[in-house]
Amino acid sequence: MSHQSGTFPAPCGQKACQVLKDRNICIQVLVMIQHLQRRVDEHLKQLPTTRQRLHLPKQKQAQSTHEQEALLDHLIRQMVNFLKSRATGGLEQQVSLLSLECRGNVRSAQRAQSSRQPGQLVLQWSDIEPAFVSHDLSNRGSEICVLYHSSFQDYNAYQGDKYQEDKNTLGFINLGTSENKLCIDLITERLGQSDMNCIEDVLLQYPDWRGQPFLREEVARFLTYYCKAPAQLDPENVVVLNGCCSVFSALAMVLCDPGEAFLVPTPFYGGFAFSSHLYAKVELLPVHLESEITEANTHPFQLTVDKLEHTLLQARFMDKKVRGLVLTNPQNPLGDVYSRESLKEYLEFAKRNDLHVIIDEIYMLSVFDESITFHSVLSMERLPDPNRTHVIWGTSKDFGISGFRFGALYTHSKEVASAVGSFGYLHSISGITQHKLCQLLRDREWIDTIYLPTNHFRLQKAHAYITNTLQSLRIPFLCRGSGLYIWINLKKYLNPCTFEEERLLHRRFLDNKLMLSCGKAYMCKEPGWFRLVFADRPLRLKLAILRFCEVLEEQKQDWKEKQLADAMKE
Amino acid sequence: MSTLAQTESGTPTTCAGPASTQDLGSSYGDCLQGECSRKPDQKLPELYGVGDPVMFSSNSSYLSSRGRMIKWFWDSAEEGYRTYHMDEYDEDKNPSGIINLGTSENKLCFDLLSRRLTQPDMQWVEPSLLQYPDWRGHLFLREEVAKFLSFYCKSPAPLKPENVVVLNGCASLFSALATVLCEAGEAFLIPTPYYGAITQHVHLYGNVRLAYVYLDSKVTGTDTRPFQLTVEKLEMALQEATSKGVKVKGLILINPQNPLGDVYAPGELQEYLVFAKRYWLHVVVDEVYMLSVFEKAVGYRSVLSLERLPDPQRTHVMWGASKDFGMSGLRFGTLYTENPDVATAVASLCRYHGLSGLVQYQMAQLLRDRDWINQVYLPENLARLKAAHTYVSEELRALGVPFLSGGAGFFIWVDLRKYLPEATFEEELLLWRRFLDKKVLLSFGKAFECKEPGWFRLVFSDKAHRLRLGMQRVRQVLEEKAQVAEDPPPCQTQEPSDQRR
Repeated sequence: MSHQSGTFPAPCGQKACQVLKDRNICIQVLVMIQHLQRRVDEHLKQLPTTRQRLHLPKQKQAQSTHEQEALLDHLIRQMVNFLKSRATGGLEQQVSLLSLECRGNVRSAQRAQSSRQPGQLVLQWSDIEPAFVSHDLSNRGSEICVLYHSSFQDYNAYQGDKYQEDKNTLGFINLGTSENKLCIDLITERLGQSDMNCIEDVLLQYPDWRGQPFLREEVARFLTYYCKAPAQLDPENVVVLNGCCSVFSALAMVLCDPGEAFLVPTPFYGGFAFSSHLYAKVELLPVHLESEITEANTHPFQLTVDKLEHTLLQARFMDKKVRGLVLTNPQNPLGDVYSRESLKEYLEFAKRNDLHVIIDEIYMLSVFDESITFHSVLSMERLPDPNRTHVIWGTSKDFGISGFRFGALYTHSKEVASAVGSFGYLHSISGITQHKLCQLLRDREWIDTIYLPTNHFRLQKAHAYITNTLQSLRIPFLCRGSGLYIWINLKKYLNPCTFEEERLLHRRFLDNKLMLSCGKAYMCKEPGWFRLVFADRPLRLKLAILRFCEVLEEQKQDWKEKQLADAMKE
Repeated sequence: MSTLAQTESGTPTTCAGPASTQDLGSSYGDCLQGECSRKPDQKLPELYGVGDPVMFSSNSSYLSSRGRMIKWFWDSAEEGYRTYHMDEYDEDKNPSGIINLGTSENKLCFDLLSRRLTQPDMQWVEPSLLQYPDWRGHLFLREEVAKFLSFYCKSPAPLKPENVVVLNGCASLFSALATVLCEAGEAFLIPTPYYGAITQHVHLYGNVRLAYVYLDSKVTGTDTRPFQLTVEKLEMALQEATSKGVKVKGLILINPQNPLGDVYAPGELQEYLVFAKRYWLHVVVDEVYMLSVFEKAVGYRSVLSLERLPDPQRTHVMWGASKDFGMSGLRFGTLYTENPDVATAVASLCRYHGLSGLVQYQMAQLLRDRDWINQVYLPENLARLKAAHTYVSEELRALGVPFLSGGAGFFIWVDLRKYLPEATFEEELLLWRRFLDKKVLLSFGKAFECKEPGWFRLVFSDKAHRLRLGMQRVRQVLEEKAQVAEDPPPCQTQEPSDQRR
């Protein structure tokens, strides 16, 4: 991913380490070149025999040669990719890379979703590796695999080895994926009621690809009410797809041409990078925010118009065409909620520069601190540029049903709605699911009197439990009242404070079967930040905290030993 | 937006866009063509991929050039779709509305399905179904799919759940396969006539093209039946594409075929696969109608039943619930491939093409219920399909209309060439409009890239009363047409009129 190269931190004062790293990379490359050479030899040998056997006419010969050239090209690309990934990666898994047998093992182990995952780069490599054998995928196909695994490998490991109270007490506890697991009982009960269970022929037949009219109407009513829209929202402006990432992907397709870019304040939800790159090939340009409080920064990671202007200007210098600004409100991973005034400023900035604003409000009902008021962009009396303001919402977070695959777009631009709607058949939702969603969203009484109060209460409690623990551990964090996560600062456990050390600490958590997300995944500029999801059952939270403390203890211990060793040397 | 020269014509049947290439003008009519109307399938202007939309540059739009192009194609189809939906037939409310014999949907077994889907076992809700899933599809469903396909495709060895990927429909699957198997601008071979929506499926995200293998109705020495696919034709099409600089990465086969309603013989299938292997081509076999073979005498063989696939690593099979279980609204499609890289690559895209956990559970329950499928659903469904088919084919025979029908699928491929005053696609479009004026919607051959003007696809898998009314309207149009063209051009080709098998 493009953003990685820009943020590669050179460990200062670590020359020896760098040399070692370089040498290791050299060995890697050598192995790869040997591999490549062997391939070339094999192909050269193969060429005449293929010809004889098939009596290929000239054209087809050319085609087969072309095939093989493509393969070689592929191999070389992979080397380049590898070098690039090395540049941001670490050292400790390199040994395992040196033996080809080992690579095979890693691959099969990964396929079987083994619990013990070696480092990320091994996984990337292991997934590039099959292409050596089969070269069945297109380049972009291979790239998709690599990208996917580098982004979701931990998640896949977790899927294969989940913690379960009775069956798998040693499994992963996942405080990395932002899911609300606190209200599954309520939701399960509600979904089990008889009104959910309806089969009509329209639900089983080809749908309106923008979403069934009954669901779009309900979404419009729902958003009107919960976003406090000044006027009734129009169902014709709603597009319903199977998840917010699909909405984002489709938006990126229709708002940008390949190579164009969106501005996005960092740290931000890493899934955007994936969604914008995967199909649409749209870049995200980070607007780097800082934790330090200064004159311009009245609170940590504050987004200001100055910073937006600055990044936009830089992009223009680089000849990058910026088409829009992506905002998440409530913010993920910070948990911040934008004030009405700042929201307005951002929108006006966008308007001044003819930028679209994609605003993801997927956590809008997960503001559990009553003293905080969330302002949906849809609540504004007058949007500065309504046709360029596109709101995303879904039920994954606010209703804790990420497995439902539902995401909605609300845009005043009929043109954008219709263009996104043309992706409907690739991102469609089952009619049966649409019915259930409609019933759920319609049941205002249940939402207002049962679900939301209970959900907020449970979120508060879980949040308080974690924040109290963090306080007692003297770990700094941002104490916010929304979202399912806390943005914590583990800088003091990193020595030196680099992304490499951050990665190692992250790895250490994983080795102890605890999933957290590290700041790098959010393109955070400063190493040492982690996102910890607290919306989980008390039992699991407790165990997670236990593992968390263990890791930090180990980390401290290591540090002390290292200091001691250094002192001895001197 | 108006910048796209999308004519906002009031006449319901007009949905022509800017006819900037010759091919385009004639293909707009298919907007109303049933499923194609929902999934637009206009032939894309040559050389204008989604990434290169020069002709769509405009300055007053909120969309990117790519977005404008996408929307334009969609609108030209949506326009027609809306027309149909504005005047949909309803027995009580709108008896003079349009009868849809264009969309390939099975509306015959809704009673059975709704009864099954409302049984208590379908209402199961558990936490894992509500949370982020394994993106390949829940393991319980992939296991069930593997068992199901092993049984119904008669695979020589049990199929494996790890080779299964579950997505929200076969459209998504086409899109994902195109993306991971081809680079932008590369192509799949496809024999025509074919289910035209595939054009859009592989193009929208993947920017992949289709290279046509044109088949014709004429029966000659090597072609023992109309629209026969031969390896020779495949070779020729491949060569032609290559000579134009188009890189072909694979071959798409639909078996049972849509719109021909025919099945490939195992020997033929083998030949095509061997051809593909020879050129390192992937083969995507769409078997979405595999359980809708209603003539007992038809010897349908799934590609998964072959003892030895010539190139198993490059053979990818798709199936779904839209046709065989008449649930196009359920959005269930599945891939079976022995190639772990392809499975993984497609699974990597599943985040964008996922299916609700609850529906995955229901689907697994359905596929697991072999008793219901074998004793209730399939026999009843096939009997109803056959009855509907018999009714329509007898009507056509009575009208003296030649047609092809191979005993599979939901449609009959009707030869209306003798009703065209001139053998052009314009005339085909006019005839199609005539049908629409008489409130019956068919799909015309151009929408399937048929080489010969005058072929129409007629879907018969609808309830008797609608079918009867639809056929009445068809008869009306044809009878009045027959009077106009007293002297129909002689069918110089062998009459493909006799119903095969």
